Amino acid sequence: MTAITPATDTRDTTFVLNGTETTLRVRPRTLLSDALRHDARVHGTHVGCEQGACGACTVIVDDVARRSCLTLTPQVHGRIVETIESVAGTVGLDPIQQAIHDAHGLQCGFCTPGIVMSLVAARRAGADRTIAVDEVLDGHLCRCTGYINLRAAIELAWNELEPNSLEPSS
Amino acid sequence: MTLLDPTHSVTRHVGARHERLEDRPFLVGDSRYSDDIELPGLLHAAIIRSPSPHGIVRSVDTSELTVPVDLVLGPDEIAATSNPCPIHWILPEQWQTERPLYDGRVRFVGDPIGVVVAADRYLAEDALDEIFVDIEELPPVVGIDAALADMTLLYPDRGTNVMAQWMAGDDAVHTDAVFTAAESSLSIPLRIGRVAGVPMEIRAIVVDPGRPGRDGRPEKLTIWTSTQAPHAVRDAVAEVCRIPQHRIRVIGPDVGGGFGVKDHAYEDELMVVLAALKLGRPVKWIEDRWESLTTTTQARDEQYTIDIAYDRDGTLRGIRLDAVRDAGAYFSIFGAGPLFAMTGTLGGPYRWDAVSSHARAVASTTCPNHSYRGFGQTQATFVRELAVDAVAAELGMDPIELRLKNCITPDEQPYQLRTGPMKYDDGDYPTSLRMARAMADAWPPVPDDGRRWGTATSIYVQQAGVGPSQGNPHVGLQIGSWESTTLRMERDGTVRAYVGVSSHGQGHATTFAQLIADRLGCEPEQVEVIHSDTDVTPYSAYGTAASRSIAVGGGSAVLAAEQLAARLCAIAAEILEASPDDIVLDSGTASVVGTPARSLDLAEVANRAWQGWALPAGYDAGLVEHAVYEPPEFTWSYATHSCRVAVDPETGLVEIDRYAVVMDCGTVVNPTIVEGQIHGGVAQGLGPALCEEVVVDETGQPRTTTLLDYLVPTSSLMPNIEIAFQVTPSPHTPGGMKGMGEGGTNGGFSCVVNAVRAALPEAAHRLTQTPFTPARVWSALHPDQETP
Repeated sequence: MTAITPATDTRDTTFVLNGTETTLRVRPRTLLSDALRHDARVHGTHVGCEQGACGACTVIVDDVARRSCLTLTPQVHGRIVETIESVAGTVGLDPIQQAIHDAHGLQCGFCTPGIVMSLVAARRAGADRTIAVDEVLDGHLCRCTGYINLRAAIELAWNELEPNSLEPSS
Repeated sequence: MTLLDPTHSVTRHVGARHERLEDRPFLVGDSRYSDDIELPGLLHAAIIRSPSPHGIVRSVDTSELTVPVDLVLGPDEIAATSNPCPIHWILPEQWQTERPLYDGRVRFVGDPIGVVVAADRYLAEDALDEIFVDIEELPPVVGIDAALADMTLLYPDRGTNVMAQWMAGDDAVHTDAVFTAAESSLSIPLRIGRVAGVPMEIRAIVVDPGRPGRDGRPEKLTIWTSTQAPHAVRDAVAEVCRIPQHRIRVIGPDVGGGFGVKDHAYEDELMVVLAALKLGRPVKWIEDRWESLTTTTQARDEQYTIDIAYDRDGTLRGIRLDAVRDAGAYFSIFGAGPLFAMTGTLGGPYRWDAVSSHARAVASTTCPNHSYRGFGQTQATFVRELAVDAVAAELGMDPIELRLKNCITPDEQPYQLRTGPMKYDDGDYPTSLRMARAMADAWPPVPDDGRRWGTATSIYVQQAGVGPSQGNPHVGLQIGSWESTTLRMERDGTVRAYVGVSSHGQGHATTFAQLIADRLGCEPEQVEVIHSDTDVTPYSAYGTAASRSIAVGGGSAVLAAEQLAARLCAIAAEILEASPDDIVLDSGTASVVGTPARSLDLAEVANRAWQGWALPAGYDAGLVEHAVYEPPEFTWSYATHSCRVAVDPETGLVEIDRYAVVMDCGTVVNPTIVEGQIHGGVAQGLGPALCEEVVVDETGQPRTTTLLDYLVPTSSLMPNIEIAFQVTPSPHTPGGMKGMGEGGTNGGFSCVVNAVRAALPEAAHRLTQTPFTPARVWSALHPDQETP
């Protein structure tokens, strides 16, 4: 039997955050979303529900999109974590971000970082546009756009990715 | 009203699909929402809430608290240190004109009664587990029937749960006579479910009391909060927390959606302000989604009887509504306003001999019901268009032909409404219907796939661009509807626009810049739009709500830009030795019409204004203009929505197959942004039509407390939307805009509901309660069977 860790005990979690080795000393129960936002002060990851439903908090852990609100900080010890801040250059935009801009795929912008991270992970995994629309986008909630222009943005981004396959997915 | 003088400017940007100027921070994670505000010494709050739907608070016991906390602010201290919250809309027979933060009772699960403040949110929530709220339980009052029964009263000294009631439109004698004279009539009971607004960013407030002034109160209290209306928050903080208005600064940083639910300061937010004042330290409170789905104001939850009288040739005669709204535990800032808007806009685009409503709002032990996108006009469209379709079905008439037969035509405009001193001005409703019919006629035939298919068309006329202010006291509204803009052109010709309305996704940084740039002959990129900071931006009682930003706020921006353009022309004329009337502002220059060689860069003109010499007689130095726009009338945007649905009879699942919208919102400043508003509005129409519903069980406990229970649309539910525009500029608004942000919701809800009913005509009389979930649809198709 191990003793229950007191609520105030902290431990170090060391991981690579957007290319930089980072150590955060937080209580083990700290959600990754909170540790990123309020301990690492990387605010681009948003918290929409803490119920795993909305996807606003999505980050990439070891190349896989994850809900940071359903991840405890110690779970990323030794891993590679990427957040929205890592996606664009200082001037330009990633093609996914550019496509969302070009297609007017954001209004209030709160859900946008999570959607971008899921799409970046999907692209890296070789997902085709049908999966990007039907599975990846469907795992996110957006209340402003009605998704129509987000689907258009995925088409734009994947047209660039798959220039030989211009058929729309639906 | 001075409309744009075309001799001074050239339209280059209004009407263009200009890319949004504000996007980059949101795309790269560089945005700044309220929870992104970090301050030295910041403490974190959690709200002590009632676990019971109804009761008298005996005590809030903190004696077993082991978690280190900085403050527990209990209800008695809150009551002693605050004034009641204002209510801005006082309707007939409404006795609740303000409400205290605490009056000894709790009236819904989640009702706030205190604040605990700790070093971080985790500890503050731990403390909540150790704070015991002892409540003498009273029976819950859940549902309109229970509320109307008055067996248990939320406010016993009032003797009834009815919070307000009124008659609107024609009186009973006239209406009865019209119904008696008509050849036929139908009476349809309907029930619209309760919905939640669900902005993706939930409520948030960060309060920095700063340093104390000589009187011990803050020298300057700074608040960052996720709001549609920073000045409304400031006014409430001043009133409730007893601080002079000039010592409060409310900033709406980036705001992640509002949809009506962020149009005022909430009780729990004001308690957080009190906690920060007591501590003298900055305090942050971020709502969680459970709190959002149980304590952020909800909407609708109304039952109706809609009666419609008509002749056998399809002539509509009268429409009569009896409506009861479950108002929840108390009135929020606009009270039962949405139901008032419903009764005022019931008639829609049709000629009637009688339009009459009896409306009541009743209290129940549930979350307060308040503003949401559509603000009652969604409900007006719902009951009217459903009734019109029912008449068409009864007569065997084509529903669009029936609508065309009864639609007000352009040559009947301006058309006096039967429900208030309002006139439709310039709508061409028959053309809207015909355009929508043509779009639907082009849809491919439905497949024979075993599903049941239905098509419906709904039309609405939306009261947007709220105004004029002087009309407001006649309907009990305590605030003004005007807006203003201050423009300052800098020495290099760039422009700052300080606007009263707030952007939280609407794209004001782009659309307002387009409006202004065209008047000044500059590029939108040269115009910075500044909003949502009460120390800096003009007063706005409403902020962004009621589809009014571009119609009223935009109108003031046009007026200010015209004033600034006139000043620029006068100064340029002085330099160029020409008449001001001959100066044209375009492409960054001021030039003499017909003589392009006689031209100055705008920067040269602007610099002269700031140098202050050699200005035309009567002109002061500087380049600052302020304009107030008081809308002389409401603007009336309108749209026709058509959709086709497929219903799986085995499961009751509805798929939306095709969707078309014909929109007239006057001048379209940016078609891409307007289309985006339509898309989002339709999503918020079809969600409550098919899946969104707040459920409170018979014990008063909320049952939809996560986004896995309260189901908002995902991408797979949303069809693509074909959009066509009619453009009839408003005769009132400078610039011609009408406002349209809520329209998608108004048309979308009604259109989807009616399409499902059209798909299942034999069950339509059982499809009277929204949302049409698979279970409800299945039950309507199988009335004799239990839901599997």
